Amino acid sequence: MEKAKISPRQLFMLIVLFELGSSIIIPVGLTAKQDAWLAVLGGMVGGLLLFLLYHKVGSYYPGLVPTEYMPKIWGPFLGNIFAFLYVIYLFYLAARVLRDFGEMLVMFAYPETPLFIINLLWMILVVYTVRKGIEALARTGEILFVVLFILAMASLLLLIFNGSIDTRNLQPVFEEGPLPLVKAIGETVFFPFGEIVFFTMILPYINDSKKTKRAGLYALILSGLILSVTMAINLSVLGYSLLARTNFPLLATIQTIELAEFLQRLDVFFIIGVVIGGFFKITILFYVAVMGTTSLFKVEKPEQLVFPLGFITLFLSVGIASSFPEHIQEGLDIVPMYLHLPFQVIFPLLLLVGAFLRNRHKQKSSG
Amino acid sequence: MNRKRAVLLGLLASLSVFMSGCWSERQLTDMAIVSAVGIDQDEEGKYVASYQFFNPGNIAGGLQGGGGGQSPPVAVYTATGDSIMEVHGNMSKKVSREPYYSHANLIVISDELAEKEGIASVLDAFSRGSQFRVTTTVVIARDVKAKDLMTTLTALDKVPSQKIMDTLETTEKAMGENINIDLQEVIRGLVSPGKEPLISGFTVKGDVKEGKKQESLQATDLPMTIEADGNAVFKNGKLVDWIDGSGARSVLWVLDRVESTTITIKWADKKDAVSYRVVRQKTNVSADIKGGKPRISVGIHMEGDIGEVRVPIELKDPDVLEKVEKEIREQTRKEIEQAIRRAQKNKTDVFGFGEVFHQAEPKEWKKVKKSWEDSIFPNLNVEVKVEAYVRRTGLRNNSYLSDIKSEQE
Amino acid sequence: MYKNHFLGKSEGKKSRKVGGAMSPFFKGKKKAAPTQPVDPMPGSITSNLQKNLDVIKQTFGNSPDIIIRPLKTGFAKVDAAVIYVQGLVDSQLLNDFLLESLMKNDFPYDNQPSPEMLDNLSDVVIALGGVTKEKEWSKLLESLLGGATLIFIDGIGEALAVASTQGGETRSISEPSTQSVIRGSREGFTENIATNISMVRRIIKSPDLWIESMKIGTQTHTDVSIMYMNNLAESDVVEEVRKRLKKINIDSVLESGYIEQLIEDQPASPFPQVYFTERPDVIAGNLLEGRIAIFVNGTPFVLLVPVVFLQFFQTPDDYYFRFDIATATRFLRIIIFFISLVGPAIYIAAASFHQEMIPTQLMLILASQRETVPFPAIFEALIMELTFEILREAGLRMPKAIGSTVSIVGGLVIGQSAVQAGIVSPPMVIVVAITAIASFATPSFSVAISVRLLRFAFMGLAAAFGFFGIIIGLIMLTVHLCSLRSFGVPYMAPFAPYRSAEFGDAVVRAPWWATKKRPALSNPENMEREGEAQMPAPPQSRVIKNKSTEKGNEDES
Repeated sequence: MEKAKISPRQLFMLIVLFELGSSIIIPVGLTAKQDAWLAVLGGMVGGLLLFLLYHKVGSYYPGLVPTEYMPKIWGPFLGNIFAFLYVIYLFYLAARVLRDFGEMLVMFAYPETPLFIINLLWMILVVYTVRKGIEALARTGEILFVVLFILAMASLLLLIFNGSIDTRNLQPVFEEGPLPLVKAIGETVFFPFGEIVFFTMILPYINDSKKTKRAGLYALILSGLILSVTMAINLSVLGYSLLARTNFPLLATIQTIELAEFLQRLDVFFIIGVVIGGFFKITILFYVAVMGTTSLFKVEKPEQLVFPLGFITLFLSVGIASSFPEHIQEGLDIVPMYLHLPFQVIFPLLLLVGAFLRNRHKQKSSG
Repeated sequence: MNRKRAVLLGLLASLSVFMSGCWSERQLTDMAIVSAVGIDQDEEGKYVASYQFFNPGNIAGGLQGGGGGQSPPVAVYTATGDSIMEVHGNMSKKVSREPYYSHANLIVISDELAEKEGIASVLDAFSRGSQFRVTTTVVIARDVKAKDLMTTLTALDKVPSQKIMDTLETTEKAMGENINIDLQEVIRGLVSPGKEPLISGFTVKGDVKEGKKQESLQATDLPMTIEADGNAVFKNGKLVDWIDGSGARSVLWVLDRVESTTITIKWADKKDAVSYRVVRQKTNVSADIKGGKPRISVGIHMEGDIGEVRVPIELKDPDVLEKVEKEIREQTRKEIEQAIRRAQKNKTDVFGFGEVFHQAEPKEWKKVKKSWEDSIFPNLNVEVKVEAYVRRTGLRNNSYLSDIKSEQE
Repeated sequence: MYKNHFLGKSEGKKSRKVGGAMSPFFKGKKKAAPTQPVDPMPGSITSNLQKNLDVIKQTFGNSPDIIIRPLKTGFAKVDAAVIYVQGLVDSQLLNDFLLESLMKNDFPYDNQPSPEMLDNLSDVVIALGGVTKEKEWSKLLESLLGGATLIFIDGIGEALAVASTQGGETRSISEPSTQSVIRGSREGFTENIATNISMVRRIIKSPDLWIESMKIGTQTHTDVSIMYMNNLAESDVVEEVRKRLKKINIDSVLESGYIEQLIEDQPASPFPQVYFTERPDVIAGNLLEGRIAIFVNGTPFVLLVPVVFLQFFQTPDDYYFRFDIATATRFLRIIIFFISLVGPAIYIAAASFHQEMIPTQLMLILASQRETVPFPAIFEALIMELTFEILREAGLRMPKAIGSTVSIVGGLVIGQSAVQAGIVSPPMVIVVAITAIASFATPSFSVAISVRLLRFAFMGLAAAFGFFGIIIGLIMLTVHLCSLRSFGVPYMAPFAPYRSAEFGDAVVRAPWWATKKRPALSNPENMEREGEAQMPAPPQSRVIKNKSTEKGNEDES
C-alpha cells in the first residue's frame, strides 16, 4: 500500500467518473425497452445497498485492503485463494473495459488501425498513471471531473436547443408490465453499479474515514442520476428501436445536433468525454488489480510489476473475444451470472458473515 | 542499464509507428469528397449509383492559382452494383481517389426504384457505415432519374446538392408543402408499424441535357431548374402515391411540421380573395377509445396576419375578422379531412396515428398492431378541430380597393 | 561563511584548477575525488609583514589588481600595509576614511607592536564599520575577495579586515527587462545582492522579514541569501530550503538558474518548479503569502519557492488593475495556453483523420488549398514550426535594433513565399502564426519554453493517432502535473486538491476587498489577511427614503 492519502471529495469524484466510464457509451437495461432509464434508477438503489455492504465489511478492518483481510476472515488458505480469484477477476475486467473502449475508437474513428495499437496507447497512459500513484490519479480526477461536467452540460443544452429531445419516445411506460423492468434492474445492479466493489480496495486510502460512507453514497446517487438522465435522453432522441440497434447510442444522439450551421458534427465532444471516462475506469481497475497482486504476493516494489502486468492486460484485452458482437454477448450472458454475481454479492455477503462471527469471537475471547 | 535499454527500445518502436504511415490517416488530397448520392435501378435490378463529388479547386476561391470558373464545381461519376458496398467498390475503377462520405448530406432515390423495390433494402449501408451521418437529407427524384438531379447545375448555389437541401429547408418553413426529412426519421418510419415515412420529391424542369453543361449557367434565365415537387407516400417501404399542394400541407400540418404558410379563403363570392399568413401554429394529436374503437383527435391552433386582400373588405371591423377566422377554420378543416381520407384510401398511415395510439393505449395497440394499416386505419374515426386567430393586418387596415369601390358608388 | 562541511561526493569529473602550489594537480586522470574539497589556504598569518605580503603576492600569482599599499601608522611609524582588490572597493571610502585615518594616526604605541594596537585601531582610529580581527588565511582572503580591505601590521600575527569598503561599479536600478507592466513600479533588481535585498526591505518594512546568507560554489563562493517572513512562512518549508541549498556541491554558481536546477523536486519534468522574477514587488507579494525568496549575487533574477502551476499565469498587473479586467485576462491566458500547446496538433488531427469534424464549407476551402501542397499535413506543420523556431532564435540573438525587424520581415516574407510556391497551405500558416503569438503571450518564459517542446510531442501524437492521441497526451500531461510537488505543495493547487480559500486568486481574481484569507501555504496561525468589511462604498446610502430608514440628513445637495 502506498503512503498516499486521498480526500473524501476526491473519492466522490473518482467514483462518479468510474461509474460513468463505460456506462455512458454502452447502453444498459435495454431489457426494459423504453423504461431503461427507470431500470438504471433501480440499479442505483441496488448499488447503494451493495456499497453499504462493502463498507460494513471494510469497517471491521480499517486500514486494510480486501486482499489483506480476506485471509484474516477465512483463514490463510481459503482467504488467499479467494483473494487470488478476485485479482484475476480484476484483470479480466480491466481487459474487458479496455477492449470496450478500443473497439469503440476503432469502430468510430480509426477503422484501419489495429486494435492492438489503440489499446497499446491506452495502456501506456494507464501504466504511466498507475506508476505515479493514487494521489496523482485523484487529483487528475478532480480536474477532469470539471471538464467532463462542462462538456456534459454543453451537450445537454445543445440537445435541448436543437429540439432533438422528444419525450413521447419514453412512452408508454410499463408497456409490457413490470416484469421486464425487474429483469433489467437485475442487470443494472451488476453493471455498472455493482462494480463499486473495486473501490473497496481504495477505501483504506481515504484520510477521513468517517466521511467515506457519505462520499460513496452521494457519488453513487449522482452517477445513477446522470446515467438515468442520459439513458432517458438517448431514448427521447433516438427512440427505442434505433437505440437498440446502435452500438453506441450516445454517439448517435450527439450526432443529431445541428444548430446554426457550424455547431454540428460535435462528435469530438463525445470522443473527449469517452476517453476521459474510459481512462478512469481502466486506470482504477488496473490500479486495484496491481494493488491486489502486490499485496497478495507481498511484493516490495510494486513499480516494477506495473509494466509486465500492463502487458498482460493488453494482450488479454485482445484475446478475450474474436469479434465485437462476441465480446458483447459474453458481457451479457456469461459475465453477470458467473462473475458479477459471485464476486459482487455472494462473496461479500460471506465476508460480512465471517467478519461478524470472527469479531464476536474476538470480543468474547478478549472480554 | 536495463531501464535505458527499455526506453531505447520503446523509442525505436514508437518511431516505427510514424514511419509506417498511420493506418487510418487520410490526406485531404487522397479523398474524393462526396456531396450527394443518387440511386437508380437499371433493368436488371442492379443499383446504379451516381456520386456527386466536390471539385474543391473550383468551389473555394483560394489565393493559389485563381480558382476555376472553367470547369463545374462538381463532378458526377456513376457505377453499378448489386449492393451499395459493391457500387462503392466499382466506383474505385472510375475515380482516382477513395470516396469519402462524411460530407455527403443528401441521398436521392429514384421514384422507379422506390416503386418497384422499395427503399428499405437500400438504406442499410448508409445507416451502418461510420462515415455516414444520420442527419443526411433524403429526397425522391420525381419523373427524372436520380442521376439527373445529380448532374444538373444551379445558378445561385455552386453545389447542386446544397441547393436541394437549402431549398427543402426554406420551403418547409415558408410554405409547409414539402417535408425536410432525414435518414434517421425515414428509417424510423419504415420500422414502426404505426407510421409510414413521407419523403419530398424533387424534379428537374426544363432540359436535362442542357443542365449538365457549364455554359447553360451563363444566362439569366436558365434552361433548367431543380424544383421541389410534391411528397412521396409509402406503404411497406414502397412508393404508392404523391401528394402535392394543399394536400401536402395538410399532411405536414398534422405532423406538426408547418412553421408558416399562406391560406387563401374565398370572400364575398370571390375565390382566393383573402390571404392569411400563418405565423405560429401548434398541432396536438391525441388518441383514445370511443365506443370500443380507436379514435384520433387532431387539434390545430394557429395565429397569423392578413397578408393580402383582393376584394374590398372591412378589416377594421373585428366582427368581419371573426368571420374571416371562421372561414379559415372551415377551409383548413376540410383540407385536412380530405388529406386524411386520401391517406386512408391508400391505406398508408403517413400521419403516425398508429404511434400516437400506441403511446396512449398500449394494451389495445398490441391487439390491433398487425392490422392497423390495412383495416383499422382506413376506417378510423378522426376528429379535426381547428382554431385560427387573426392578430394583425399588416401596415394597412382597409385596402385601397375599398376606397376604389366607394369612389365608384 | 566558508565552512568545510559539504558532504557528499564532489564533482570529480570536472577538471579543477585550484590555484597555488599547494594543491594536488590532476593530470586528467579520473582520480577518485577526496570527500572534502581541499582548503587552498591552510594556516594563519605570521607576524612578519613582508612574509605575509609575499604569501599574498604568490597566492594571487602577482595579479596587478591586488593592490598592496604600504604605509606607516602611529606615532612610532610602525610598518603596515593596506591590501585591497582594485575594482571591488569603493576608493573614495578607502582613501577618505581608511588611509587617511591610518596615516594621520599618531597614537603612541609601545615599541613592540601588540594585539592591543589592533583593538585601538578598530575602536578609535578607523572610521568605518564592519571591522573584524582575523588570523586564518582562508578567512582573510575570502573577505579580501569580497571587497574588504586588509590591514597588516608588522609584528602582529593578526590582521584587520574592514568589510564595509565594498563598492565598485554595478549597474544602477533600471526597468526590468522581462516582466514589464503597464501599471506598477518600474524598478527591477540588479546584480548586486545587497542592493536587491535592500529593495525588498524598502517595500516590507517589517522586522519579521528575515534573511539568512550563505556562500555556494566551491570556486565562485557566490553569495546566496534566503529571505522569508518569519511570521508567515512555514518553518518546515524554510528548513527544507535551507537543507537543499546546503546540499549543493558544485564549483560554480553563476546564475540563479544553477540553483534552480539543483534544488528542483523533479528535474525530469518539463515544467518549472521554481519561480523567478526581476521585480521586487512580485517578491514582496509572494513573501507576504508565505513563500521564500532566494537571492543570488550576480543575477537580477530572484527565485521563489514553493510554487504552483497557476503562478506562471499571473502577472503583477493582475493585482493592480480592478478585478473584472484581471479576471477576464486570466481566462484569456488559459485559452492562450491551450492554443499554444495543441493548436498545430488539432489542425493536423482534423486534416488527416477527422475530416468529418470540419463544417463542409470550411473543408472545401481547406481541400482546395491543399490540392497544391505536396506534403502531408504533419510535414507541413513541422516545416512551419521549425522555421518559426529558427526565426525566433534569430530574433533573440540579433541586436535589439535589427532583431524584431528581422523576425517580422522574415516571417512575412518566408510565409508568403512558401504559400505561393505551394509548399505550405495558408491555413497552416495561420495556425502556426496564431500559435506563435499565443506562446509569446504566455506570461512566464519558462512555461513558454516547456510548451514549445511539448507542442512538438503533441504534433507527433496527432500525426500518428489523431484526436485520440491528442487527448491521451493531454490526460498524460494532466496526470504528470498533478503528480508534481514543489517543496511539499501540490503543483496543481488550488484545483487539485481543491482548496476553496485560494480560488479567489486562481482563475478569477477576487477584488481586494474580498480576499480575507491567506493561501494555505502560510503558517496556519496567521491566516487573516485583512480586517472585516473592507468593501468600499460611498459614505451615505442614496436610496429612496422609506419609513424604515432612519431620519437621515435632509440636505439633498
